Amino acid sequence: MSTSAIDYTIDHPAVAGTPSAASIDEVIAAPIDSKPSKGWWIGLAITGSMLGVGILSISWLFYKGTGVWGVNQPVGWGFDIVNFVFWVGIGHAGTLISAILFLLRQKWRTGIARFAEAMTIFAVMCALIFPLIHTGRPWLAAVYLFPYPNQHGLWVNFTSPLLWDVFAVSTYFTVSFVFWYIGLIPDFAMLRDRATTKFKKIAYSIFSLGWRHSNRHWQHYEKAYLILAGFSTPLVLSVHTIVSFDFAVSVIPGWHTTIFPPYFVAGAVFSGFAMVQNVLIVTRKYFNLEHIITINHLENMNKVIVLTGSIVGYAYAMEFFIAWYSGNPLEQFVFLNRALGPYAWAYWTMVTCNVVFPQLFWIKKVRTNIIGMFIIGVFVNVGMWFERFVIVVTSLSRDFLPSSWGHYVPTAVDFGVFIGSIGLFFTLVLLFVRVLPVVSMSEIKAVLPGAQPSRH
Amino acid sequence: MSTTQVPYQRKDLPASVTAFGAGATAAGAAIVALTFMFDHSRGLYNNIIGLSVLASVAVGALFYVALEYLAGAVWSTPFRRVMEFLSATVFALVVVALPLMANLHEVFHWTHMEAVAKDPILAGKSPYLNIQFFTIRNIAFAVLWIFFYAMLTRFSRKQDTTRDQKYTRINIRFSTAFMPVFALTTTFFAIDWIMSLEPHWFSTIFGVYYFSGTFLCALAVATFIIVSLNERGYLVAGLGKDHYYSLGTLLFVFTNFWAYIAFSQFMLIWYANVPEETYWFIARWKNGWEYVSLALIFMKFLVPYFVLLSQPSKMDGRKLKFIGIWIFLAHTVDMYWLIMPNFSRSLVLGWQELGFPLLIAGLITLTFVFKARKENLVPIGDPKLQRGIDFKI
Amino acid sequence: MNKNLLYSVTALFDTPDGIIHAAEAVRNAGYKRYDVHTPYPVHGMDDAMELKDSKLGFITLGAGLLGGAGVFAFISWVFLAAYPNVIGGKPYFSWPAFVPVTFEITVLSAVLLTIGSLIVFFFKFPNNSHPLHDTPYMKNVSSDKFGISIQANDPKFDEAAVTALLSSLHPLTVAPVFYDEEELRHTWTTFDPKFLALLVGVALFVSGSTYLHLNKLLYLPPFDWMSNQNKFKPQTPTAQYDDTRMMRSAPDGTVARGFIPYPFKGMPDSAGKYLVNPLQPTSEALALGKTKFLTYCSPCHGNFARGDSRLRGQFPNPPTLHSDKVRNWPDGNIFHVITEGQNIMPSYASQVSREERWAIVHYVRALQRAFNAKESDTQ
Repeated sequence: MSTSAIDYTIDHPAVAGTPSAASIDEVIAAPIDSKPSKGWWIGLAITGSMLGVGILSISWLFYKGTGVWGVNQPVGWGFDIVNFVFWVGIGHAGTLISAILFLLRQKWRTGIARFAEAMTIFAVMCALIFPLIHTGRPWLAAVYLFPYPNQHGLWVNFTSPLLWDVFAVSTYFTVSFVFWYIGLIPDFAMLRDRATTKFKKIAYSIFSLGWRHSNRHWQHYEKAYLILAGFSTPLVLSVHTIVSFDFAVSVIPGWHTTIFPPYFVAGAVFSGFAMVQNVLIVTRKYFNLEHIITINHLENMNKVIVLTGSIVGYAYAMEFFIAWYSGNPLEQFVFLNRALGPYAWAYWTMVTCNVVFPQLFWIKKVRTNIIGMFIIGVFVNVGMWFERFVIVVTSLSRDFLPSSWGHYVPTAVDFGVFIGSIGLFFTLVLLFVRVLPVVSMSEIKAVLPGAQPSRH
Repeated sequence: MSTTQVPYQRKDLPASVTAFGAGATAAGAAIVALTFMFDHSRGLYNNIIGLSVLASVAVGALFYVALEYLAGAVWSTPFRRVMEFLSATVFALVVVALPLMANLHEVFHWTHMEAVAKDPILAGKSPYLNIQFFTIRNIAFAVLWIFFYAMLTRFSRKQDTTRDQKYTRINIRFSTAFMPVFALTTTFFAIDWIMSLEPHWFSTIFGVYYFSGTFLCALAVATFIIVSLNERGYLVAGLGKDHYYSLGTLLFVFTNFWAYIAFSQFMLIWYANVPEETYWFIARWKNGWEYVSLALIFMKFLVPYFVLLSQPSKMDGRKLKFIGIWIFLAHTVDMYWLIMPNFSRSLVLGWQELGFPLLIAGLITLTFVFKARKENLVPIGDPKLQRGIDFKI
Repeated sequence: MNKNLLYSVTALFDTPDGIIHAAEAVRNAGYKRYDVHTPYPVHGMDDAMELKDSKLGFITLGAGLLGGAGVFAFISWVFLAAYPNVIGGKPYFSWPAFVPVTFEITVLSAVLLTIGSLIVFFFKFPNNSHPLHDTPYMKNVSSDKFGISIQANDPKFDEAAVTALLSSLHPLTVAPVFYDEEELRHTWTTFDPKFLALLVGVALFVSGSTYLHLNKLLYLPPFDWMSNQNKFKPQTPTAQYDDTRMMRSAPDGTVARGFIPYPFKGMPDSAGKYLVNPLQPTSEALALGKTKFLTYCSPCHGNFARGDSRLRGQFPNPPTLHSDKVRNWPDGNIFHVITEGQNIMPSYASQVSREERWAIVHYVRALQRAFNAKESDTQ
């Protein structure tokens, strides 16, 4: 029934119903103006505890050294890089929504862009923890991470993928942050103008930089937004591409494969959308934003999830096929080992969660069912975490020489840091929904019915 | 739920277009025939170039039709028919493939049983690379493409008279089904016809590489036709800068996408430096082929990139027409660069290489003229048409 | 305090059509210094106000090209001039590997400079003391109204005429906005002593805490456990052994793995007598010998073993190897000298492996032969 209801002659409204601009202000500013509820405090207590576990684990790590992790020869990369890639991947949805969908003029992005951008920033912060702490003593490692001539006059290796990572992720973080902040300026001005307490007024004045909603400013502002979107699009592709180079420029079987760049990008968007979808489902319910973040938006996100999930499935299949086709016994062994070896359970978890479950989104009933999509979103994130685990660990634990094979078992500290990063992420999300507008008010007002002159 | 009537008057294409199509086809066919006479193998390798370029136009256009249905895009609805007409070249594809199917042994090393028997790697691949399976696969590709072409265009045509929205819905279903079919068929088409020319070489990104060029090429040809038709008033009124801008942006994006995929493939193979992969690039960096490699970067990335970079030029009809033809040529050069080094390790370029591009251009034109004679150039019954005409960026 | 300076006359509208119409009317009336304030960008307003296209794109292009070219040149300088280093067997100028960093820096510089100039030059921000701030007008356009404001410093400005024009456009309200000159004149200066004191304070705090962390805290327990490990070190005394030394020599009669003892310690003649060069004088052996000779021997003996290196005159002169004595030595003697040293020449056993020593012997023989060539050698 639902399919036959679509009328293709009319545009889908970006919001449900016909809310007025003033009511948008009320609804979106409500969480900021009101006192947090009990549920929010409970949530914060849970995520805060997880963050505490992470802080304890990292303190122990700093005290004892990276020996407390499960990594050793031959699996020298374990949870640290798995979690790093996982979180960077989560961060990709935000820029995709705010930049690529902006360039494609998809109006449905307005309701979710702000949230997704914030999640990008938080996810990249979580990701940055891992390369920092894997140095053991990050305060002493600063000179290795940044181009800083040491006493030998030797520069860092600009041709190393690990250094590219430093540049890519920090650029990504900076640009995402700038993008996000630029989008927030008009909303800060709006919050400033409706602030009731002196403290809020001063704070929002400072953050709004004195924005006046002037059309002479809007003109440059829109241009700047377009330019930022134009740059963010290749940037977001470059980040996960460079992360994939970490693996693919090596000669390790299972890592050195040319499809890695687009495959990693698709996977990143896949997991990022799943995470944004999950958090949005909770937020829209909790803050009564169902008419702004509509089921239609979520359905569109699910379509992106099924598309990127299928690309990921294509890449798995391609890797397998070419491994066989190459005639290279090492490649062939690695892929058989993934499916049948000691980590087969991780591999099949990955395949089930990433390839099988998201295919249910082809069915419209599943795509528009809140519970159903939430569960599939969780599966996707689990699956994508395992994908990185499978890539990193199976290839390293069974490399060229059977005498140097090994088995990787993460330790409690590994798990502690990972739990801590999850705690950090959700703590930041919880704080964000209290202090900043979760939907861009100026953008949503612009797509309300009747918001634009009739001639246009 | 009735659609509003869009004023559209069907006009026949001028005779000069037909003349060009017939002329190009005839000239191309003549050169092809001469090439086959003087240097049979060279003709066959050129035939693969022609096949892969024509497949790009035909299947790339069909992909675009499906993509429009799936994405719910409206801006391209007024000229979706152009894409549908272009995808009608799937029939010509079969004709172009026939000389090759008859002479597989001459171009594909893996068909030489005595060589395969001596080579354990090729022997390992023989369950996939053998003439029977190859033939079955390629017949299946053709059947699938023609089937989806027939379905997608059939319902679109029906809508012209019935204006029934249910056909849009049906086509969305077919488009959904076409997506995985498209991904797999183009990938294996590229592996079969191009990658397996060098049967020891392999690259997992190869299908994506071919896809990126394919879509770009189809889009470029369509852009040239759309802008030309619109300037002469063959389409509906109201199409202008906003639509051009969207076309230009897509071309720009896919130019970058192609460059990204091409660079990724090169970078990973260059960096890892595994001999079993690098020789493929080394062959294209020696004996004159390096000039083709450089020309490819210049033609397929730098020129389109800088021509399309600025916002006004994406809306400029003249620039779009130029870049449409340019990218079509660049894609042909790309295929030439992929295929011909397998024919000769040192650069070969002569009149023989002109035959198939001319023939393909002629076949595309003739198919288009043939379709335009019977059908509307605008999907006048499409429910999204009015929205598409009103589209503003 | 003069609160009554007129800044502008403003009008508020309810619909986007109304504001577009108003903007066109004001523009047609010939006003230049006016502005439209809307809660979101209204399509078509730039045309209604006849604004020229934003020039921001040129800054982006310039910044991107400059940043990209700059970092590419910098990396090239690092690899070609500053510290040429072979990495992964690639040439020094491995441009594909420079692309990722170049790309990232291009994006970073383009974005940061674009946004920086947008805020500083185009918006002249931060500016929180504009006359329009804190007015009912601003509160309205911040939320859901559309406003137009004609400034008093417009050359055509006349309060009555402007009010009449705006009123004729069917606005919700028309209101003048005043400002307080004193308040606007108050500017915040960089050289304010309080601000400078704050900067100094921050600098002292940051540098002090950095110093404390890196130079003090890290050497205090428990953070020093890696440098002060619970283990015996070679130079520390121990009660475990009678001679109180922690550093032990190997037990008698044992040999380290991979080590072959030299049987002719202090016996050059025996070495000459019993040792035979195990290497054939192949071109590989000679090439190896040449490399090792040029690395380890030539600094004193000279490139051609004539004892003519630049050390001549600074030490007891290193001898030539073309003397009759050395030429008549058996191979084993030369090997012995390299292994054990002689006079002030130290042992090279740890730097040059056995095989390499024998290769050097071959090379020395070749040099000797070259300097004392016989007639028959030329045939």
